[in-house]
Amino acid sequence: MKKAVILLFILVSFSYGYTYNKLLLKAQASIFPKIIMLDKKLEGKLVEGKIIYTIVYEKNDYETALEIEKFIDEKYNGRFNDYAYKINLVEFADLSQETQASAIYSLNSENYIKKVAEIAEQKGVVTFSYDIDNLKNGLLFSLMLEKSTVLYFNKKNLHPYNINFVDSLYQIVKFVESKNDIQKNLYNKTLWFKNQNTAIAGL
Amino acid sequence: MYKTLNKQKKLTSILLLLASLLDLSAKTDEVLESISSELTYFNEIATATKQNEHYQPYIISVFQGKELEKLGISNLKEALGLVPGVDMATDNFNNQTPIFRGSNPSAYGQSKLLIDGVSVNNLFFDSYSEYLSFPIEMIKRIEIVRGPGSKTDGMNAYAGSINVITYAENFEGFESSDKLVFKYGSYDYIMGGFFKTYKTDDLKAFIDFFYQKDNKKLPSGLDGLSQGALGANNIPLSRSGNAPLWLKEYSLGVNLEYKDFFLKARMLEHTNGSAYGINLALPQESDRIKLPSYYLHLGYNKKIDNYKINIAAGIKQDAFDSYSKLAPDNLNLGGIIFEDGIYGEHFAKQQTLYQSSYIKYEGIDRHLITLGYRLAREETIDMVSKLSNRATGDVELVDYTETLPFFDKSAKRNIFIFSLQDEFQLNDNLSFIYGFNYEKTSRKDAGLEPRVSIVYQLDAKNIFKTIYSRSHRNASWQEMFTMNNRARVGSVNLEPEIVDAFEAAYIKKISSDSHFQTNLFYLLNKNQIYNSSSNPEYKNAMDTDIYGLELEYKGNISPLDQLYLNYSYVTGESDIKDEDRRESLSNIAHHLAKGYYIYNINRALSLSGVAKYVGSKSRVFGDTRQKVKAYSTFDTALHYKNKKYDFALTFSVKNIFNTAVKFPSAPNTYSEDYEQESRSFLIAFKKSFK
Repeated sequence: MKKAVILLFILVSFSYGYTYNKLLLKAQASIFPKIIMLDKKLEGKLVEGKIIYTIVYEKNDYETALEIEKFIDEKYNGRFNDYAYKINLVEFADLSQETQASAIYSLNSENYIKKVAEIAEQKGVVTFSYDIDNLKNGLLFSLMLEKSTVLYFNKKNLHPYNINFVDSLYQIVKFVESKNDIQKNLYNKTLWFKNQNTAIAGL
Repeated sequence: MYKTLNKQKKLTSILLLLASLLDLSAKTDEVLESISSELTYFNEIATATKQNEHYQPYIISVFQGKELEKLGISNLKEALGLVPGVDMATDNFNNQTPIFRGSNPSAYGQSKLLIDGVSVNNLFFDSYSEYLSFPIEMIKRIEIVRGPGSKTDGMNAYAGSINVITYAENFEGFESSDKLVFKYGSYDYIMGGFFKTYKTDDLKAFIDFFYQKDNKKLPSGLDGLSQGALGANNIPLSRSGNAPLWLKEYSLGVNLEYKDFFLKARMLEHTNGSAYGINLALPQESDRIKLPSYYLHLGYNKKIDNYKINIAAGIKQDAFDSYSKLAPDNLNLGGIIFEDGIYGEHFAKQQTLYQSSYIKYEGIDRHLITLGYRLAREETIDMVSKLSNRATGDVELVDYTETLPFFDKSAKRNIFIFSLQDEFQLNDNLSFIYGFNYEKTSRKDAGLEPRVSIVYQLDAKNIFKTIYSRSHRNASWQEMFTMNNRARVGSVNLEPEIVDAFEAAYIKKISSDSHFQTNLFYLLNKNQIYNSSSNPEYKNAMDTDIYGLELEYKGNISPLDQLYLNYSYVTGESDIKDEDRRESLSNIAHHLAKGYYIYNINRALSLSGVAKYVGSKSRVFGDTRQKVKAYSTFDTALHYKNKKYDFALTFSVKNIFNTAVKFPSAPNTYSEDYEQESRSFLIAFKKSFK
């Protein structure tokens, strides 16, 4: 029995798959659109004067993509600050250079994340990921519910893009330097704890 | 003139540019502030709902009610069956209690149950058997802390604590729908209930109600008379048959929030069959025990600058109320023949009044200091003790409340607890919590109890925790104040049980939604309270060292499923003080393995399975019966959710292979162990209203 249990644990440790945490989905749907506003070159990425927020998903995750769309619409009611927006739901398989996008939010996929990163790089748009693991495959931002709620940013992936964020954004993100190495930044002393356990990591 | 105009134009242009830049800067600040505020908001929800459980300074498992519903789990007891390191024990009242990590299975009160943050352990046993049937549909989430856990609010969790969160919890943007529930199942089980929320700008009101009953009875084997529980001369009167384990209960809960004030109240009327008889003679089918529980908790929360104040006060009442046939016809007690048997009515009503004040201060950089006290007055406020006439053997009840009480009606205890704790975040990877509880009571004191925990986040994927804590369990009313009873003799001089807990945990986050966790624990228990049929007086009889490990995995095999597995191992040794001997843990399963798998066939339909293995259990010293056998059970459930009409239907079969599930009986009581559920089914219907 003991051996069977240990074997089972070893086996499942290598298995792989996803479900979605609703709170995390909502947190990302609330916060990611605001980051788009901090791109100084946003004007150049508008499509017919609108921000196109493209959500890419696997076929099985269509309902999840719809839920995110619904939540964003309920929260933002058609406008991200001064800009009207449109949500574009696109299956990973259908994503191409021709897909309209001012920013791309990626749900989980085993095969398509690098493709999303490449297309976003060519289009020069910001990318967001549900899972932090996808930052190592070229996406830019993710958000985690840790002891604090932490906004992760892979600065290394920024260089090729036609993106220029306002400097103050870098005070509220935590940098991912390499695949598994999260830079150990100290908390911004003035903001720390005033935000009651909300991670605001500065350089 | 032209030059002046040109200069003015230039100045205007510069001013416009500056204004535009200032406007842009103001907008940027606004966006950044908004992001910060959202991060704070979601962090508060994640912390309150334990969705960042891995970073908490204790060993915790969290189960979501909706996921448990999909598995066909029916109530709190079944849900606790999934928790790593937790097994269940029972007694002749069918007073069931979870056993955390092998901690003293013969005593209640090893763990605390909180409903929406209010402690509901009854004073009589310090148990919460009456809440184990709480329907899962009324539960939003169950948070189970193994080990003493968080003790900053005057709660002395000893081996573990269970916090049941109902749908009264509601965050802006995360409102729960109102619901109506019906269930039908084996043993003629029926249940109906609902919950509803009402909100205005300042007021939030929540109400839940449920009614449930069943007609459960299970074979008992020969009753305790066969072992001489009522004297050797009465052994021939021993009977076997079906033990009445039926349930009938209803509950009404109310939560109100008005500005900074809140109220939490519940009335639970719980009645169950007399099970195996309070005197170990098989009772009649209609014999019953009532375990009502009522509480009213009032509070005030206020944030002023760097201070957060919480002031609360409450009243809790519970009772032990038994009416049953205690002994069979023709019982001979000291030469008196009770031709029509002995009947008895035993009633003891307890009340707890409490008041607490806590203040959190976050004005020191990287520190969160919590300071406060809790005062409680516990007492018996009513007691009735009636029996058939002991002098004549006549069956009619005689009031022995004054002359031969079963309980000390003047029982009382005052408790004062002072707590101080500092949560220190050295950096974003390393945090410390250190502090203490100091308790003074009108009985025996636990004194000073320190606690230190360290949480180290190596990176986004690897988290380490170490915890040292000392906690205690005060003796229960039964252990202190039972009188004139052959099987139980109370002692008011009992010292609190004390535990020094050393725990370490490693959490590997495999992805955002899957993790693997390993926990190691070493528990030094002192003054554990114990009694037995051969030595019925409750004593601080033993010191027990327990150690073990828990492995836990939650994740997926494919994007369409959910998998949860855990395994726990516990072992240890007790030092029996009066007898100068040591014995290994008895009535404890050294190995527990549990898990579930949910396969989402599509968005509407899911199929699931629950598997549980409970290892064999050694008997207590002197009990010559064979070990309690290991068992495995398998359950399955089909869950259908109709999004269009907002209803869900679950059909489940429990214990598919009809495995014999038995909890150990104490030696010299019932010769056979207490049989639990055989194969059963359950149908649940739930309708939501937006």
